[in-house]
Amino acid sequence: MICGDKIPLMDESALILNAQHGDLPAFNTLVLAYQDVMYNTALRILNDEDLAADAVQDAFLSAFRALNSYRGGSFRAWLLRTVTNACYDELRRKKRRPTTPLEPETADGDEVESPRWLADPHASPEESLEQAELEHAVQHCLDNLPADFRAVVILADIQGLDYSEVAIAVHKPLGTIKSRLARARLRLRACLQGFRELLPAAFRLEEQNSL
Amino acid sequence: MTIPSSRDLEQLSAYLDGQLSQSSRARLEIRIQSDPALASALEELRQTRTILRHTPQRRAPRNFTLNPGMAGIRPPVPRLVPVLSWASAVAMLFFIFTLGAGLVGQLSFGAAATSAAAPMVYGAGPLAAATVAPVIMAAPATAAPATMAPVVAAPAPLAPATAVPTSGSSNPPVANQTMLPAPTEQPSIMSVDQATPPAVARAFQSPSVPKALHKPVDLWLFIWPGLAVMLGASAILAWGLNKRAFQRKNPRG
Repeated sequence: MICGDKIPLMDESALILNAQHGDLPAFNTLVLAYQDVMYNTALRILNDEDLAADAVQDAFLSAFRALNSYRGGSFRAWLLRTVTNACYDELRRKKRRPTTPLEPETADGDEVESPRWLADPHASPEESLEQAELEHAVQHCLDNLPADFRAVVILADIQGLDYSEVAIAVHKPLGTIKSRLARARLRLRACLQGFRELLPAAFRLEEQNSL
Repeated sequence: MTIPSSRDLEQLSAYLDGQLSQSSRARLEIRIQSDPALASALEELRQTRTILRHTPQRRAPRNFTLNPGMAGIRPPVPRLVPVLSWASAVAMLFFIFTLGAGLVGQLSFGAAATSAAAPMVYGAGPLAAATVAPVIMAAPATAAPATMAPVVAAPAPLAPATAVPTSGSSNPPVANQTMLPAPTEQPSIMSVDQATPPAVARAFQSPSVPKALHKPVDLWLFIWPGLAVMLGASAILAWGLNKRAFQRKNPRG
């Protein structure tokens, strides 16, 4: 559990119940507990900080309005469903209005693959640079996945949801989750191989037979 | 060594997450031990998952808490505001009442004036209760005795020029717009009540009404619009309080 642990389970149930009766401060306590996991999910799906923040705000708003449809179970999964839907909406909008990529381009118009340009020049510690490179490598590979696969692997492997929670969050049966997660992991594996030299030593992928 | 099928890869992925049933897991473990390709695929999936699990988590750039405005919740208004909100309706009632009273009053006054052949003129806009001007009564010179100087009302002079003073200055201008220098024995416009002969006083009201009763009528003509204006101001105050309360409950940003 990443974020719900901030609130004991009993308290969370009470807060949800109060929020369902229109208690906004109770709902805002839940917002503060879950906003990080919501934002990280949106950020990984959309790869845009501003759009992610907008999606999270929209998601919390629609969650508050639809709170009476929550019938128990993982509240985190239920909340993440609202942000996943908001992200899908944003991706559809983005598709209709394509924008210029933010990444720098070479003279040939190709995007610069190296994540080094992202590194903060003031972040001298090697660790933060490694973290930035790892983040960029993962994000780059996630962006190459179809949106449905991306959401599943983000929820399962980055946010740590179990299969049943992911099934709730993306509103798909368990079998679909299993299948999409396996395919997403394989595709990510192939992509991350390209960043082999840039990944921190602890995560360096060994040369294996390609699957 | 065989290339794992997509079914096998799904099984390996689920095995990694502990999502296989007891029997499926036992069967797969036997196959992994005997097939290096499956073992290798499992290791690759595990490494990929490890990397993903270590993806840095960011803090939310701001708090995403909702305010009542966003959530569509109306803040409670101060207790006084609902009372004051009725002020506009009450003001309208007063206005209508004043209007009606003015009309009735004018009609009755007009009738009295006609019967007494002494026209009486209200000041500008007798129907606009909120802007009632001071009532100016011009005592017509025709009704005045010949010994009186003409009495002229400044804003709405009706005094005809037929009244020529018989005494006073040697050559007084004969003009209805001109305030004549009144002779010392003649009353000014301010003391028209005192100066008006009983016949003229009777023309205002019924002959039996003493002149002292004129005062309340004039007073009410001020009181009603005054009340209306005060109630209107209350309504504006209520609106302002309401707006301020709402802004306090829903601070921007």
